[in-house]
Amino acid sequence: MVVTSQEQDILLRMQDDLRRALEKPPHQRRWVMVIDLRRCIGCHACTVACVAENKLPPGVVYRPVLEEEFGSYPNATRRFLPRPCMQCDNPPCTPVCPVHATYRDENGVVVVDYAQCIGCRYCITACPYAARTFDFGRVYTDGTAEAEGLILGRSRADDYERVANFEYGRPYERLRGEESPIGNVRKCHFCLHRLAAGMLPACTTTCIGRATMFGDANDPDSLVTEMIARTNVIRLKEELGTEPRVYYLV
Amino acid sequence: MAVQERVSQTHSYERNKVSMFSRRDFIKMAGIMYGTAAFLGWRPDFPQLVASQAAATEIPLHSLENQIYTVCLQCNTVCGIKVKLLDGVAAKIDGNPYSPWTMAPHLDYETPFAQTGTVEGAICPKGQAGLQTVYDPYRIVKVLKRKPGTKRGENQWITIDFDTALDEIVNGGDLFGEGPVPGLKESYALKDPAVAKEMAAAVKAILTEKDTAKKLALVEDFKVKFKDYLDTLIDPDHPDWGPKNNQVVFNWGRLKGGRSDFINRFMRDGFGSTNTHGHTTVCQGSLYFAGKAMSEKLVDGKWTGGDKFYWQGDVRNSEFVIFVGASPFEGNYGPPLRVPALTVGATDKGLKYVVVDPRLSKVAAKAWKWLPIRPGTEGAMALALIQWVLDNERYDKVYLAAVNKAAAVAAGNPTWTEAAWLVKLDENGTPTTFLRASEIGLKEKEPRPLSTDPEKTYEFDYFVTLVNGEPVAFDPYADKPEDAVSGDLFVNGIQLGAFTVKSVLQIISDAAHEHTLEEWAEICGLRVTDLVEVAREFTSHGKRACADIHRGVSQHTNGFYNVLAWYTLNALIGNYDFAGGMIKLSTYDAAGGKPGQPFPLSKLNPSAMIPFGTSIIRHDAKYQESVLYARLPEDQRYPAKRNWYPLSSDVYQEVIPSIGDAYPYPVKALFMYMGSPVYALPAGHKLIEILSDPKKLPLFIAFDITIGETSMYADYIFPDTSYLERWEFNGSHPSVPFKVQGIRQPAIAPLTGEVTVFGQTMPLNMEAVLLGLAERLGLKNFGPGGLGEAGDLSHQDDLYLRMVANVAFGEKEDGSDAVPDADAEELRLFEQARRHLPKSVFDPERWKRIVGEALWPKVVYVLNRGGRFQNFAKGYKGNQVANQYGRLINIYQEKTYSTKSAMTGEHLVGYARYFPAPVDVLGRPVEDGAEYDLRLITHREQVMTKSRTSGNYWLTAIMPENVVLMNSADAAARGLKTGDQVKIICASNPDGVWDLHNGVRVPMIGKVKVTEGIRPGVISFALGFGHFAYGGVDFQIDGVLIQGDPRRTRGFHANAAMRVDPYLGNTPLVDPVGGSAVFYDTMVKVVKV
Repeated sequence: MVVTSQEQDILLRMQDDLRRALEKPPHQRRWVMVIDLRRCIGCHACTVACVAENKLPPGVVYRPVLEEEFGSYPNATRRFLPRPCMQCDNPPCTPVCPVHATYRDENGVVVVDYAQCIGCRYCITACPYAARTFDFGRVYTDGTAEAEGLILGRSRADDYERVANFEYGRPYERLRGEESPIGNVRKCHFCLHRLAAGMLPACTTTCIGRATMFGDANDPDSLVTEMIARTNVIRLKEELGTEPRVYYLV
Repeated sequence: MAVQERVSQTHSYERNKVSMFSRRDFIKMAGIMYGTAAFLGWRPDFPQLVASQAAATEIPLHSLENQIYTVCLQCNTVCGIKVKLLDGVAAKIDGNPYSPWTMAPHLDYETPFAQTGTVEGAICPKGQAGLQTVYDPYRIVKVLKRKPGTKRGENQWITIDFDTALDEIVNGGDLFGEGPVPGLKESYALKDPAVAKEMAAAVKAILTEKDTAKKLALVEDFKVKFKDYLDTLIDPDHPDWGPKNNQVVFNWGRLKGGRSDFINRFMRDGFGSTNTHGHTTVCQGSLYFAGKAMSEKLVDGKWTGGDKFYWQGDVRNSEFVIFVGASPFEGNYGPPLRVPALTVGATDKGLKYVVVDPRLSKVAAKAWKWLPIRPGTEGAMALALIQWVLDNERYDKVYLAAVNKAAAVAAGNPTWTEAAWLVKLDENGTPTTFLRASEIGLKEKEPRPLSTDPEKTYEFDYFVTLVNGEPVAFDPYADKPEDAVSGDLFVNGIQLGAFTVKSVLQIISDAAHEHTLEEWAEICGLRVTDLVEVAREFTSHGKRACADIHRGVSQHTNGFYNVLAWYTLNALIGNYDFAGGMIKLSTYDAAGGKPGQPFPLSKLNPSAMIPFGTSIIRHDAKYQESVLYARLPEDQRYPAKRNWYPLSSDVYQEVIPSIGDAYPYPVKALFMYMGSPVYALPAGHKLIEILSDPKKLPLFIAFDITIGETSMYADYIFPDTSYLERWEFNGSHPSVPFKVQGIRQPAIAPLTGEVTVFGQTMPLNMEAVLLGLAERLGLKNFGPGGLGEAGDLSHQDDLYLRMVANVAFGEKEDGSDAVPDADAEELRLFEQARRHLPKSVFDPERWKRIVGEALWPKVVYVLNRGGRFQNFAKGYKGNQVANQYGRLINIYQEKTYSTKSAMTGEHLVGYARYFPAPVDVLGRPVEDGAEYDLRLITHREQVMTKSRTSGNYWLTAIMPENVVLMNSADAAARGLKTGDQVKIICASNPDGVWDLHNGVRVPMIGKVKVTEGIRPGVISFALGFGHFAYGGVDFQIDGVLIQGDPRRTRGFHANAAMRVDPYLGNTPLVDPVGGSAVFYDTMVKVVKV
């Protein structure tokens, strides 16, 4: 046995896949996410990376990880299930929007146009996967002490929460007023702003188990194409006919 | 075989080149593509949104002009990170792809930096949440002094000017209205290194004198010889306690390189105190010190020079792993590095692993087998496996037969053991020391030059093995092919000359046969079939199997022997230094210890003191050699008042209790750096009694970033810079096969403000305090000329940049190991990314002056990459790791045997044996009665570090509190259901509370979670919750009430329900040999509330 470095981290392979996909016109791409549950260790790195990347406030979570225990002692086990937006090809959430603020963009990602969203939250109830949450304008440092000059204090400490996120490719500073995305419904968008820069979604990049895979299912050479052809692939609530773009390997 | 390997090696090299090119090519392409897109304003993904919302913006976070590569410290795994900045604010943290921790294989070190802006490795949730440790509203930013007139722990503070605080600490006085407090200058008694050196030599002579009368006579001689200096000693009648300087103690929690050099330079080389102690024993002390005992070398005929270290598995290349008391998905050095090896290994490469843990950890949930062992019997399980492996002859006979280096090399093994060496038995049949050839007239001793002084000689005595029944003398380190000796493995009590002898493997076999397999299984609470299956699997993969162990093995009263047993099992298959086997860490020397390195720090140390004397924790010292022992009447010598630790160091749980007992001498001042023993140690509540009493500890100074559970008892708290604002050299862990040195460097402006010391402006932090104290005390190895011929040490950068230069230069005298120069673009990016830092932190001209023009571009090359990391392909040589341990592994330890317990006077045992736990420090079983019917253990959650992440709200949002994990059978028997609240009580804390000695009593009440995932009879709780300080409770500064945030105190912390040692009274149960503080051996009961 000889150890070599001929293997490549799938993080680099997938970024390579991404590069090829970005060379194509958007409508020829089919972004999909594949989550190998055998590799998911329930660490929540994806959850927190997503919160940090998109500056999500308390109560807004794009990618929770659900946990269950099975069996009885000593034949017990635990399973972990990350649940991003399924980016359905047939999304139940978009038709209910009274102002057409949420829709599938041209490469199939279900987006929210913050400028149009009136915050009615119909879409939240319409989603069978509970993938949408509402931004009430809070920050995590709410309620912490100020004590100006004596300790760091709330208003110096919350800068990292208030600096711009770059969802949909533009800066959204979290000011103390009511500007978007405060008052909007928010959801996973496969980190479109990162994809545009040739980078994987934040959840995918930081998946220490390499359970989360992302890429263009229309590319026969991509990792995700290989994965969704496996026999152990499932999608959640397929019976609803939502046609999710998130696949699970079990 | 060898030829075949060489061929495939060449083959793989070619393939490496190809893959390396394609990766670089890709990064280059990605860079070009993004650049072009940006130039044309083309946004490939959201044209509709561009139309409907404002014009898309360039995302500054993706540019290297806004990124600094550094090292995480949310736990101690030390993953490489990149900090992404927005207007000087750290906005996001991701993995540094040059770091082997976050990508596998990691990027080759030579990959152009400019092409890595959009390439990121994976880090864990705590790493992602690091911003909340840095931007913590409860961070302290002013120097705090306990409000005069209030007691320690009352949490009333006044702000105090930096310089005034230092003056008070140095000069002492009536600082708190409680009477005079001794300042540091009172303890800075011995200042002359030449006198110290002479005294140290005289003390050594006293210690090594075996005759009591002569020893005491030497003490009298000492007092005559040093009559002019007796006032510098703690007690002239006990010169082995050393000078008064030792009455100042520096204790740390998490300390990394650089800062450790700074502290040791101040405390040891400058101030001359021997009392600098770490926290190792709260983590995995007996793992380290079993490793030390196993790595002792025979130098000049004596066993010495063991490394404080341990081995871990190279699990990426393993086919089978036994994880014992180790939780690589949640800790274990650490998740980003080890998790992909296990998950991808299991799905794609056929890796199998078994997890031995009373709790169904996340890694156990993914394992081939979960073996919920009875806590404290880990060593028994190892011996059961050893028994099966020996009985079924599934060990590596060739490896074990090699008695010396030559034989090991001949067999292609980098290491060898004492398996075939002969050991003498005493009259009871107890193994003692190795048989020497001269003792049976086999071969005469021979004079050999001393390693320390080649002009002088010592008598080398050969060791003995049997070869086909005939005694043969050998030298363990002989390396010429003709000296190779392979001995008989099983020699059972034969007579040689005047001695009855056994081979080491026979001794180990005897220990493994103290019980039948069925009995071992019964002891462990496991099934024989499982043990056999695991043993068979372990011996079915050649060297690509390993048993990877951690805290669950070491933090018991029998920790040292548990560790030794598991490492002995590994030795049976000879997997050390093999890919997929057991490996050690390897780092680039930052301190300049290698020939040719530009800044040899130990030499650049003017007037360095020689610290000497027994430490307050009595480590590296034998009780029986002390003057204290000699002065005691013979019948009062045992047990000693407290244990001595001749084989371990950094015994965290000994520091404060020893101060409390003034054993062996009283202490005047304690510095605590990034440590919270009150919170972190088992039975930490007992420390509060000591810390809150100024009579026991007159002066207590803490460095912290908030007011923590321990620093709340301090007299002064100095705000420290956080991990994104400071320097550190992070070394490595044995889970990493590559040679590395990750460098933590300032990524944001310090939030603590600036101070002036030695005329220089600098961030207010630990270094500034030590510089300020050194200035006031006049220490010669600080300030102008403090680095000798290399120049001044008036600013932290003076030391740290030179250390970076050492790393950049590398370890070859001719400079051929140096890194390349940063090119113009790299230099530009380097400065541009640091444009937000104040001049007191980053000043390119000042920095360049410190390291010199020639090394500057190399320093930039290293800092841009966040440290130095060996390429993946260089980490392996064929089927072995490249960075090898490569020497004798002591599965039998003569030195350990030759050490006698300070508590019983008995010899220690020098090989793997099972000793039931728990016992107290005297070796008596701890039996608290049937009332205490649940064994308490702890675990870690991925989203919480032990004591420092409770203010990370992104993490507490995921897991707001911890729970009492209880098996459904135990819950049913007690009528408990999930959500019920119970108080945890043990015999040494019948009230189940933390008494904070400030009027507050915090009960240990947690919510039950009924689970199938824990062994019946065992309950567990996650560490890191139930804080009672750390921004969670109210406090006052300058009379202003500052309200704590209750999110930070949720859950409970049951360390105070861990058993206090019945003899010691103020210390948890301990492993008296390996030093571990015991977490897993307490019987408790739960009471519904």
